Amino acid sequence: MQHIIVIVVVAVAYAVLAGVSELVASSPSDSWTVWLASGVVLGLLLALRRSRWAAVLAGGFIGAAGFALHLGSGILEAIGYGAIEVIAAGGAALIVSRLTELPMRLDSARELATLIVAGALPVALLGALLATAWHIAAAGGNSVATFRVWAIANFIGTLLVAPVLITWTQFRPRRSGGMPMPAFAGGAVACALFLGSMWLLFDARVEERFGGSVGESLTYVPIVFMALLALLWGTRGATLAAFVGALIAIVNTAQGEGPFAGVEGFLGEAELEVEGYALAIALTGLLIATLEASQRVAMRAARDWQTRFEATIGAHRLLAYEWDPVSGALAVTGDSLQLVGVPPARLRTLADWLAVVAPDERERVSNGFDGRVAGSGNADTLTYLLRGPGGSLLTATDEARAIRDHDGELHRVVGIVRISATTNPEASA
Amino acid sequence: MNESATQERPAAEPPPDSVPASANTPDGVFLIHGLGGTQYDLGSMHKRLKNAGLVTHSLTLPGHGTKPEDLAGVTAEDWIDAVVAKYREVRDQHPRLHLMGMCMGSLLAAVVAEREKHTKGNLVVLAPPVFIDGWATPWYRGLRPLLYAVPGIGRTMKIEEEDPFGIKNEQLRAIVKAKFERGENFHYRWVPLECIRQVDRLRGILMKGAKEIRCPTLVVHAREDELTSLRSANFLVEQIGGGRARMVVLEDSYHMICVDNDREIVAKNVLEFFGAALPGATSALANEPKMTGEALSAAVAATTAKLAAGDLSGLRELAIPDLAWVQPGVNKMSGAHAGKTFTAFASRFTQGNAPRFSAFGTPVFNRGVALVPATLVAQRDDATLESQGALLLAFHGGKLLEARWFADDVAREDAYFGQPEPEAPGTVSLESMFEAATATSKMLKKAPDNDTLLALYSLYKQASVGDVSGERPGALDMINRAKFDAWTSRKGLGREEAMKAYVELVTKLKEGE
Repeated sequence: MQHIIVIVVVAVAYAVLAGVSELVASSPSDSWTVWLASGVVLGLLLALRRSRWAAVLAGGFIGAAGFALHLGSGILEAIGYGAIEVIAAGGAALIVSRLTELPMRLDSARELATLIVAGALPVALLGALLATAWHIAAAGGNSVATFRVWAIANFIGTLLVAPVLITWTQFRPRRSGGMPMPAFAGGAVACALFLGSMWLLFDARVEERFGGSVGESLTYVPIVFMALLALLWGTRGATLAAFVGALIAIVNTAQGEGPFAGVEGFLGEAELEVEGYALAIALTGLLIATLEASQRVAMRAARDWQTRFEATIGAHRLLAYEWDPVSGALAVTGDSLQLVGVPPARLRTLADWLAVVAPDERERVSNGFDGRVAGSGNADTLTYLLRGPGGSLLTATDEARAIRDHDGELHRVVGIVRISATTNPEASA
Repeated sequence: MNESATQERPAAEPPPDSVPASANTPDGVFLIHGLGGTQYDLGSMHKRLKNAGLVTHSLTLPGHGTKPEDLAGVTAEDWIDAVVAKYREVRDQHPRLHLMGMCMGSLLAAVVAEREKHTKGNLVVLAPPVFIDGWATPWYRGLRPLLYAVPGIGRTMKIEEEDPFGIKNEQLRAIVKAKFERGENFHYRWVPLECIRQVDRLRGILMKGAKEIRCPTLVVHAREDELTSLRSANFLVEQIGGGRARMVVLEDSYHMICVDNDREIVAKNVLEFFGAALPGATSALANEPKMTGEALSAAVAATTAKLAAGDLSGLRELAIPDLAWVQPGVNKMSGAHAGKTFTAFASRFTQGNAPRFSAFGTPVFNRGVALVPATLVAQRDDATLESQGALLLAFHGGKLLEARWFADDVAREDAYFGQPEPEAPGTVSLESMFEAATATSKMLKKAPDNDTLLALYSLYKQASVGDVSGERPGALDMINRAKFDAWTSRKGLGREEAMKAYVELVTKLKEGE
């Protein structure tokens, strides 16, 4: 039952986006500016589990063949068109699956590059090759134009739609966590500015609205807002806004409005200009959002590592330290507040540490650290007493290692201090 | 309806036939967990309350304790009905019954307090989500009323638990995360959207009725609660009224306040609010003892019997876990010995020639405190001690909270037991030197010979345990037999002498390296 639902949803989504693409098709050059439907199949293949691939491809085939019939194609032609869409998207998905783990998350620049180079490009080129071959075999005509229109329209359409599907299929409503309200509000302002500036730029002839060539210069303004939007809303918000913004640009250009409408050095140049612009907008947003996401992933990994490390040394009643003998700076890691009654932030120098050492042991410990600087050895162990919380006495077993540079010069002293209240020597007997 | 109830009682309750039930029965607390949760939500509150002499009651709310899908179809009324039924079941079992809930459980506790006109005890609401407006609530939270109108989506849409899981402490969060990943059934990983709708309805019910709550109320809320802001706590306090409601704001926790960094503060405030037994004689004097005169007399008799037998460790059976013993003067026995240090202190009364209490007089009582005349007797080769004085024993709910010895002549005890090791800066006590020596003994570069090892072992055992006891190991168990014989050779050696000899031996070995 779920497979049938997937087939129906994919077929309907394909048909709807194909219809939108038809609406925004450029009439002067009689060509497709952007083919959004191809992004549906590839996007879902990369976003869903492999067990759903057959249903997605079946839905894509039905949607493509059905839309071809709607355009007046014969049954054989419709089947052929559906087959091209399925082969192109399926082939690209297979290539991507070899290079990265699926389902794709789009949380790293590497994944974004994979999507562009191994996903969108093969879909466009493979589809264009097959379509051109079919075109030549069936009717002949301008095969170069067929290849170019198919490849560009599919490439841009895939890059506009597939990221939206990849990021939004992983959306899960949460009770708490995720994007908080302040970030959402900031992103909403950036989104309004982005879409508003796109509308202002493309919803009229620029010379009428801004006069002269000012309008063309202003095409950079939405990119700034897109960057801000991507930072605040992440990949989901950036992909959705880029999709809507690209539609505004393409639809209005097709209607002869916007900064690219008057550019007609050759037939279809305006379409190419707006296609490139839409691509730039989409990639800018995606790149910034994925870089921000990869930074978040790295931060989470670092925090997990820190949590594990602190849990380990805490459970063993250990403190770790790094001492710079030149500046005297000390960095202590571990729960020193619980173990010795002083938080790490107040153990910034060797003098701070010596203040924790039992008074009659301080000189010996200080000499021990001096010895670490003066000596040429790499490791030594000091055992001394510390004043613990509430004035109790604790035993510190301080195992230090010297870190030296290529000339043998001492660079740092790093150590682990085991804090113990009692020990049992029975095992040694 | 999926309901199961548990009841946890203190380990030792006053004998039921000694007094009328209403006076002898301890107070009860009815605890209610949160949405998708279990009693885990309430951390160690069950244990804390039980240790303080209270009886705890709880229930598993309808739709909980199985799988998240079972929450679909459960309504706010189902939860309220279940809590009301349990409340009515246990209400008359105690002279006072307190209500306490966490998160959604706190909404239920407050609604029940209002509907049942609860005045038989207090109400504690922990992190009440009257408003879903915490700093980490997602941007689409305001869209949920629109989704409620879409048929079928309420049951199928899953609202997931996500980082930070209501916990600020990173280590605790990692533990909770691991529990989720292991699929442990302590909290649902998600709840259906329909369930959130029922919580919204419950919030509405409470908002309308909060003014009608008549019992003393404590609202505990974290300033950094990621799910619901302080506005919720302020709302409740305003509605119930400052005369009846008060608020405790936590500064180092997120939503799960019973398990996060401030859990001790939560426990302390709740126990105080319930007038429960806290360690200390002051508490026993300030609060009702929750014991009849007969029960108090019986408790004193049981305590003095243990003391007469020299079984200070056995007092634990009669006491709260944090029992404190306060010994006067400036000598080796002096000080407040509580928790783990009480164990070490009590062990001194079990060694040979250990001091004993005897000649107990007739106790006099003031609330939960008994003053018992007694004599502390001790003897060693060169001296005898017979120190008269009085024992102050503080009880609450049948449990011994604290014992204090008041000697008539403290100087005599100081003279007998000797001066304590100096604690002034720059000095190191014998015990500390002993501890340091034990650490050093394990790090000797050169392993000592067998005779030296046996000497170390025997001195260590004599210093830390005392005279050898038990049967000598058989001839085939040569190593343990040798150890036993070495320890036996130290029999009669005092603890301090053994420690000194041990420290000297280790120092000598270290110097010889």
